[in-house]
Amino acid sequence: MRKYALLPFNFITILNHEILINELGDFIITPIGTVQKILSHSISDEDLYKTLVSNFFVTEEILPSLLDIYASRLRTKKGFLDDKTSLHIFVLTLRCNQNCIYCQASSQEETSKHCSMSLEDMTASVQMMFHSPSPNLTMEFQGGEPSLEIDLIRHGIETAEEINKEKNRKLTYVLCTNCRKLSDDMLELCKQYNILISTSLDGPSYIHNKNRGREDSYEKTIAGINKARAVLGNEFVSALMTTSELALDYPKEIVDEYVSDGFNGIFLRALNPYGLAAQNEDWKRYNQRFISFYKTAVDYIIEINKHGIFFREEYASIILRKMLTPYTTGFVDLQSPAGTINSVIVYNYDGYVYASDESRMLAEIHDYSFRLGKVTDKYEDVFCGSVAKRMGKIWANEALAGCSSCPIKVYCGADPVRHHSTQGDMYGFRPTSLVCEKNKAIIEYLFSLIVERGDEVLPIFRRWVK
Amino acid sequence: MTLKIDRKIFSDSCISTVVYWFSSRYAIQRSIQGTIETLTIDGVQDEKQFLLEFYQKLNDYKLRNQIDEETKYIKTILYAKAFGEFDELTEEEILE
Repeated sequence: MRKYALLPFNFITILNHEILINELGDFIITPIGTVQKILSHSISDEDLYKTLVSNFFVTEEILPSLLDIYASRLRTKKGFLDDKTSLHIFVLTLRCNQNCIYCQASSQEETSKHCSMSLEDMTASVQMMFHSPSPNLTMEFQGGEPSLEIDLIRHGIETAEEINKEKNRKLTYVLCTNCRKLSDDMLELCKQYNILISTSLDGPSYIHNKNRGREDSYEKTIAGINKARAVLGNEFVSALMTTSELALDYPKEIVDEYVSDGFNGIFLRALNPYGLAAQNEDWKRYNQRFISFYKTAVDYIIEINKHGIFFREEYASIILRKMLTPYTTGFVDLQSPAGTINSVIVYNYDGYVYASDESRMLAEIHDYSFRLGKVTDKYEDVFCGSVAKRMGKIWANEALAGCSSCPIKVYCGADPVRHHSTQGDMYGFRPTSLVCEKNKAIIEYLFSLIVERGDEVLPIFRRWVK
Repeated sequence: MTLKIDRKIFSDSCISTVVYWFSSRYAIQRSIQGTIETLTIDGVQDEKQFLLEFYQKLNDYKLRNQIDEETKYIKTILYAKAFGEFDELTEEEILE
């Protein structure tokens, strides 16, 4: 009987293997029955024993001499907390020049009035952003269609640049645009301030046009992407897709579209239950179909990579980065404590601050649960106010029923806003939580690929997380 | 269907966690007499499959509970070492 003490870990059974996962997200694939052997101190496999010791699963000392290193690595895994709120979303307007069938932002007609941010609120929002202690501040302009408000963007950036002469933060700008009417003035502004363009491309024309409610949308988006690339360079233009009901039938065609458009990755993004998308009749069915869509698409992407083309799936890459590297990710949906407020904040066109992008979407259906205060309020009252404190009690999955004992919680996150919107309770009930079902399915699927086809997929996955 | 579980073998925490995960599919009533807990489960169609899944989960959570119990002190030390100094900061310092 070996003498050792256990270190904290959990396990999951996949494809007749036990995957042991420690607090850092490091994992070991072992035969069935290994956990029982560890607990009964009866491991006979010398190599396995050495692996368990060297990877912080068991220790031969009562207080491991490498505990400080373990603690330091754990701190690194939660490094996003040190960064504080770095992503500042400015919802400039609800005005939009498209009619997306699943619009999650409750966009209005292009000619609509009283749904754009005032210059005064933009100034106050930028001033509030600089109260965040983060050394890196990203200003992300959203809508509606934010490029319809170029003067507001210019004002926001110029105000930020002026304040930053004293504050000395690293500023990054992102414009989320449908690329439909990217004017020369807009691109000149992008060039001047190195603004990154994030556009929406749902796949081939027959999917994109249907989703976006206009027959020429695909053509205009591709033209906009090419125009932006010509002025700014390829690396300044990225695209996101949203998986509509229609898209669920075309996983390979959507991936092919992104490859042929010269992108080196795709974010297979599920619909969120906000705005028009909330009217979806059967979310459970959608969720199950999305999981199947996702697996087919990732399988296909792996095949593409095997032919020597670097092309990654972004959601998988975020999870794999947590599995295969010592580092954290800045992706707010998979953070614990949750990314809301801690990593992201939203200054809305209505002059109020919200906990996340989804929170301001809820406000459009008169649910103000995550409204933190006005942009003119004191920073402390907004970021540490009563709403933030209420959320703070339930935003860490380490302390939530259903999550705390989950073996894969280290790769996942708490999502109080989503659970509030879908279950009427910020805390959430995991057995019926669709976000839990989706994340579990994807994480377990990635593990199953590693277990079953490790030699083939791990070199590809390692390239994705570099 | 009715299921009797000896709490000397499976703890309350262990049974509660498994009941939590099954409660989206079944209505489960719990009662205790001595060390024996009786679960009355409504809605089970395939008893064999249910028992297989239920006991698999019970056994898994039992192992997890054992690991948690054995590692709770080292886990506290680990998290204190990793994040402890945050507790020493005043609210003003945090907001600076």
